[in-house]
Amino acid sequence: MAEPVLLVEHLYYRYPTRNNYALDDISLSIPEGEFLAIIGQNGSGKTTLIKHFNGLLKPTRGRVVVDGRETTGLPTSDLARSVGYVFQNPDHQIFAETVRDEITFGPRNLGYAAERIEKALKLVLEEMDLSGMEEDMPFQLSRGQRQRLAVASVLAMEPAILIIDEPTTGQDWKESTRLMELVRQLNEKGHTCIITTHNMNLVSLFARRVIVMREGRLFLDGSTQDVFSQEDTLLTAGIKPPEVYSMARLLLPGVHFDKPLTPVDLGKLLAERARSPRLNSQFEVSP
Amino acid sequence: MALIELKDVSFTYRGSKSQALKNISLSIEPGEFVGVIGPTGAGKSTLCWAIVGVVPQILLGKLTGEVTVKGLPANRTPVAKISQIVGLVQQDAEAQLLMTDIEKEIVFPLENLSLPREEIERRLNYVLDLVNLRADRLRHPFYLSGGQKQRVAVAASLAMEPEVLILDEATSELDPVGAEEVHNLAGSLKSEGKTILMVEHNIDELAKHADRIIVMNQGEIVKDSSTRSVLSDVDFLASLGIYPPQVTQVAQQLISQGFASHFLAGQLPLTQEEGVEHIKRLWT
Repeated sequence: MAEPVLLVEHLYYRYPTRNNYALDDISLSIPEGEFLAIIGQNGSGKTTLIKHFNGLLKPTRGRVVVDGRETTGLPTSDLARSVGYVFQNPDHQIFAETVRDEITFGPRNLGYAAERIEKALKLVLEEMDLSGMEEDMPFQLSRGQRQRLAVASVLAMEPAILIIDEPTTGQDWKESTRLMELVRQLNEKGHTCIITTHNMNLVSLFARRVIVMREGRLFLDGSTQDVFSQEDTLLTAGIKPPEVYSMARLLLPGVHFDKPLTPVDLGKLLAERARSPRLNSQFEVSP
Repeated sequence: MALIELKDVSFTYRGSKSQALKNISLSIEPGEFVGVIGPTGAGKSTLCWAIVGVVPQILLGKLTGEVTVKGLPANRTPVAKISQIVGLVQQDAEAQLLMTDIEKEIVFPLENLSLPREEIERRLNYVLDLVNLRADRLRHPFYLSGGQKQRVAVAASLAMEPEVLILDEATSELDPVGAEEVHNLAGSLKSEGKTILMVEHNIDELAKHADRIIVMNQGEIVKDSSTRSVLSDVDFLASLGIYPPQVTQVAQQLISQGFASHFLAGQLPLTQEEGVEHIKRLWT
């Protein structure tokens, strides 16, 4: 098996002003190219965990290894080469006067050559559908455009790992899925992608692996479809799976899915059942 | 007379070139639970602000047409007066909380109304029970979960005893269980006779409680009908970039797979229970 791009071993974290652990013995290994969603209730430790991935927070105990380097002792600016972090609110990260300055700020700080920066700028502008806006003022862009600018400025540093904290805030379904489609394309090019979100429909459509946090602990870790099939367990962590999983559990009990379930797939499966009477006893509907 | 009435209302924010609301006509009767859906920039929040008079009295611009709340013209009745009839809870509960404990938060506006002490206590106890926060009433809002904060914001609005409660994306920053808490609270307020207007992206939850849904796009109302008939139009919703309830999407797929006769046009199942009940009949 390939070396994990991100390795967390017995990670404990306590905020200086608190008595209890915000993260309580977290261990996980993320291989390169993973598309991972971290979910859980408000306050379950999602953001605290992902802030360890780029060194914004350092373990109280345990260790986090990014791209082969332990984060303890490494400055965040150094880790920024490996890990890109897009904040929940793009306005918390945008500061420059033009789109060009915003996007090139990171690579310039990392000391990339001018030629490389120009190339990265052109590429991310295209990828994030912002071409031609180089000289625009970021705060005159729409919210959706600002969110894409935030992603673009992180991508310009060419990080191996891309972390997006709640890509849906303030966006409607169309804008959210559009951003996620772009993230998926990056994932297909080899970037490891990690998102946190409350939108389970979005998780189901895009993530291949899901981690559920509960009260600072890693509560569940598995493929998207396996995690969402455990409805009763999820409810104790404050998570409701997408409705298709509950419907499938009631209408097709015992059926195992080998990929995340969409409404269209469930509709097709149900149509198949309805058409094959001999299967009915096998797929007896529970009372 | 309708409780809330908009007649041919258009609004342009000062300094903006395009209309935020275009020829909106709408009436809401007492006791209705109305959902408002639509993409960002559709004018949903502007509609809410026009009803409470914030548009155009505080957020300036050019308003034409007529907005009335219980017969009062919303564009020239003091917002403080309208807010005794209509309570508004917005997306960011934290931005609306200002006191150091829940109890103070709830009684602050009541003290401003110079209500008698007994009346304030009665209302405080009533809303604390309603939002299920009695045990937490002396806690600082900072230490509450997102769902609890939003319930405090709702409680503070309800203590004013408004006839109408507007929830403008009040659940969008909450986890799924917190969002469900707020939706269930809205549902129980409806059964107590309150009129509810709820702007919402979470259509699966909205489907459970709303009687009627208004769909907005680019400042216009593009559909205004019963919840079932609006949400049954899966293709229409998708064309506006709105994610339809998964249950109706499954039913829609079954229809295109040749099971059309099992579903009435425009009458698709909306909730999980309905969907399971209905689909079971395909093979039992």
